[in-house]
Amino acid sequence: MGQQVVSEGQYLAVFNSTHRVLKAEGLLKNSGLPIMLIPAPRAVQADCGLAIRFDEDHLNVIIALLTEQNLLPAFLCQFTNNTYVTIREYQHENH
Amino acid sequence: MKTIDCRGQACPAPVIATKKALEESDTSLCVLVDDGAPRENVGRFARNRGYQVVEAAAEDGWTLQITGSAATEGTDQNNSRSSVSGDRVLLITSDHLGEGPQELGYLLMKNFIFTLLETPQQPARILFLNSGVLLATEGAETVEALKQLEDRGVELLACGVCLDYFKKKEQLAVGQVTNMFSTAEHLLTASSVIKL
Repeated sequence: MGQQVVSEGQYLAVFNSTHRVLKAEGLLKNSGLPIMLIPAPRAVQADCGLAIRFDEDHLNVIIALLTEQNLLPAFLCQFTNNTYVTIREYQHENH
Repeated sequence: MKTIDCRGQACPAPVIATKKALEESDTSLCVLVDDGAPRENVGRFARNRGYQVVEAAAEDGWTLQITGSAATEGTDQNNSRSSVSGDRVLLITSDHLGEGPQELGYLLMKNFIFTLLETPQQPARILFLNSGVLLATEGAETVEALKQLEDRGVELLACGVCLDYFKKKEQLAVGQVTNMFSTAEHLLTASSVIKL
């Protein structure tokens, strides 16, 4: 089998709104950040099933940008030891 | 052994000539072809039909020695590559999925391809036509997932005419270039075809 879509240590910002995740994707890509919009893995339940994948190196700048533009995800998780660990849930309307 | 010279011919002519020659009688044939797509397509065509193919570099091209029996034709569905999922073929004719906003359609197509990595059953091959070929070209976000599918034995075939139309022939990042002859054969011999 090949590698997984999400590698050990990578983060997923999981969204519950399609419009919101598309806006966030555009914002981060326009900022030159190496992110990828992927279907949220089965193990990570999300209403719209979309997540933005990125490496730890970019965690701080991504969260800062999303906060600034009011585009935070529903929650943030990290793939570690073959499990998705929720790092933080964000309480706001329109995930 | 009969020899046919297909050098200088553009695809799909060499495949058609090979098919015709094999149908005419012979269980063995020698085909002279140019390197690149003609060599790959003729070789693949013969192997898919159960023939043995031995390739050797020759002056101005390649010699393909095709041997075996036409009686084995139809084993396509039993060979190791096809057994990935009983020769289920995905036909992707666009770089976006469904009708509606382009942005949403592209997102859905990308999602579908990534999701294939998590589904227990995978297609034997994926055929890309029209703007669907763009999904397999440099810069497309779907290349990463397609490479993983290819590693798992899924055959990826992109329409050469389409790549040429989009001027992306040199930018195919995953899979192989194919022609309409081969595409039609795969569709007609598949146990099931799912068109996206």
